[in-house]
Amino acid sequence: MADRFFDEHQRATVEAAMARIIPTDDAPGACEAGTIDFLDRYLSGLGQIYARPDGSGFEELTGRRAEAWQRRLDIIRARYVAGIAALDDRSQARFGRAFAELAPDQQDTLLTELEPRPAELAPGSGEEAPPLQQTKAEIDLEFFPLLCLHTRQGFYADPIYGGNRDRVGWELVGFPGPASLAEVHSGRFSTLAWFAERQPEQEGDSRRGA
Amino acid sequence: MARKPNPPRVAALIIGAGASGAAAAKVLTERGLKVTALEKGPWRTRETFGGDELANINRYNLWPDPLLNPRTVRESADQESTVDLFCPVPQMVGGGTVHWQGWLPRFTEDDFRIRSVVGDLPGATLVDWPISYADIEPYYSKVEWAFGVSGEAGANAFEGPRSRGFPCPPMPVSRYAEKFHQGCAALGWNSFQLPQAALSRPFNGRPATVVSAFAQQHGDPTGTRSSALNVFVPDALRTGRYELRPDSYVREITLDAGGRARGAVYEDADGDTVEQEADVVILACGAVESARLLLLSRSGRFPNGLANGSDLVGRNATFHEYSAAVGVFEDPIYAWAGGGYVSASSFQFYGHEDSRGHVSGGHIAAAGVGIPLPINWSLPGRPSWGAEAKRIDREYFNHSMAVAMVLHDMPQHDNRVDLDENVRDAWDLPVARITLKPHANDLAQGRFLIDRGADILEAAGASQIQKVYIDRITGNCSHQHGTTRMGDDPASSVLDRWCRAHEVDNLYVVDGGPFPTATGANPTLTIMANAWRVAEHIADQGGAG
Repeated sequence: MADRFFDEHQRATVEAAMARIIPTDDAPGACEAGTIDFLDRYLSGLGQIYARPDGSGFEELTGRRAEAWQRRLDIIRARYVAGIAALDDRSQARFGRAFAELAPDQQDTLLTELEPRPAELAPGSGEEAPPLQQTKAEIDLEFFPLLCLHTRQGFYADPIYGGNRDRVGWELVGFPGPASLAEVHSGRFSTLAWFAERQPEQEGDSRRGA
Repeated sequence: MARKPNPPRVAALIIGAGASGAAAAKVLTERGLKVTALEKGPWRTRETFGGDELANINRYNLWPDPLLNPRTVRESADQESTVDLFCPVPQMVGGGTVHWQGWLPRFTEDDFRIRSVVGDLPGATLVDWPISYADIEPYYSKVEWAFGVSGEAGANAFEGPRSRGFPCPPMPVSRYAEKFHQGCAALGWNSFQLPQAALSRPFNGRPATVVSAFAQQHGDPTGTRSSALNVFVPDALRTGRYELRPDSYVREITLDAGGRARGAVYEDADGDTVEQEADVVILACGAVESARLLLLSRSGRFPNGLANGSDLVGRNATFHEYSAAVGVFEDPIYAWAGGGYVSASSFQFYGHEDSRGHVSGGHIAAAGVGIPLPINWSLPGRPSWGAEAKRIDREYFNHSMAVAMVLHDMPQHDNRVDLDENVRDAWDLPVARITLKPHANDLAQGRFLIDRGADILEAAGASQIQKVYIDRITGNCSHQHGTTRMGDDPASSVLDRWCRAHEVDNLYVVDGGPFPTATGANPTLTIMANAWRVAEHIADQGGAG
């Protein structure tokens, strides 16, 4: 399948972990958003790295850019394959079953053990991260922080990438979002309606203090 | 490697087509000089930009890919360096202005005489600039009007005298800017709508800027933002005297027999190596890459890098640092409106005051928390997964904001850019290595500014206020300066007051490298104004250098 990288068991394992990372409650979570489809498509190859900005499909990568992305994907794929196997090993040792077959609280127990200790935390990788301007390089992340990042991306990215199905991520947090990438590309998407209700007169300035 | 015939010699060669290179190109070509520009990256058009948070923030669509363009970093010379995306800037026509929100405050009069104002600070290499605010002021006005900046003259109570107002009134007030103004007003502090590289109304044949959520760190698909790509590059092209060659990676600045710059050897878009000769060579690669290119250009005459007989190329590097106090409000802030950076600022704690126990200061401003779009928004202390993480997203995404600071970090002799011979980029050249340790003053000043940001949030009615102090400098501002200091004394500076190398009389640097000190404000307005000043001087000299 063109949009798949994982085998069925790997896919079920990752999907189960994602369901704990953004759980479903009275509002949709990772399952309903299709974050597993987002990740499987990402890992499937170079064909869906960058959507065309008008939403008409995906860019074709060439040259050094394509080489870099192939290197990155190879690193990330290997991290997933090893991480999933290690998670199942841990699950079998502790509970005698594969991770995907565990109860949610058992899954949480194992995932908690995979959290990086504070001393190991890289900047931008999650807890204690300052509100930085740039994100941490994906390939520097271990399996579980990487999975958390990709779950979040699949939940909140533009739906063109296969997750955020029916815009459930955006609706959860109250982001109106554009109807499509084309709406931004054509300049129709403006956020002025969400600016302050009262705008100052252009000439006088009542805000000036000391 | 194949060797094509070299292109004909030109009057001026500019390496780089970002803010400074495009500003210099506009001025030189409008003064009648033929200019060739070599830009390492692609020449992207507005049709290639869009509202895609994943691609633009997380997948290096605009940021340099660290697998192709790594840098390394270490704290001191006795440490091993590690690969790090330190202080990245988009490498393409337009440079950082392609994806910025464009905060364009002016520096203050004291910035140009900082050593005289604050005195000696042990461990730092503070100096006065060789030029004054009055020297640069006419060029501030030229840039504000030619580039298109929206702001209000006189609103910043700490700004120096200005010869002219702004071409456009300030941008509309976002809700996060409104909170900032309310907090400052309650405290009796001056605040103002931050001058911005955008048009609040149609100006100079251009339409008003579209205020999208996909702004900070996104390219502009509408072509309505004020950027080098949208304004100065087209201005230069209109003269018919600007030849801009994208995908052209300069490996070395060459010398003639007399020790003057002859031109540049570069790999062109076809992968062929050619040399472009010129009467004057102008570096505009950004302070990190310009220093790197000088250091890569070794010769018998300059064994330690071009114009580096003083061993000062790359030293006294400063990078600012961005951090913030954050808080949440009962009423919605919608910090993604305008991309989180249609902002208000205060220079109340920008100038130096002895009583604070540290030197100088920086400006503080309203902003979204990080990039306040769904993927990349977060609050400090938020867990990275689970029900609590989801609750925080849901409750605070629309209700949180930051008051951020731009740190005025101190120049130090050992804080530097040099070459890392152990790590090579995709073109097989040694990468820039940053050696950087914050001065104690940087940490103290950072705490002070973030505390003031928290004061503003509290005065505006925020709760759950958290202060994110810095303990190191990570390069997260993408601001870079100081690596080729300008000054009157060749023993303590790389460039003279016209940003011409003391040691090579037809070689100039016009990016942030010439800045002797970092100041506490966003640098690009001053970078463009200084590039304009230098380009006019070059044209006045007949272009011969």
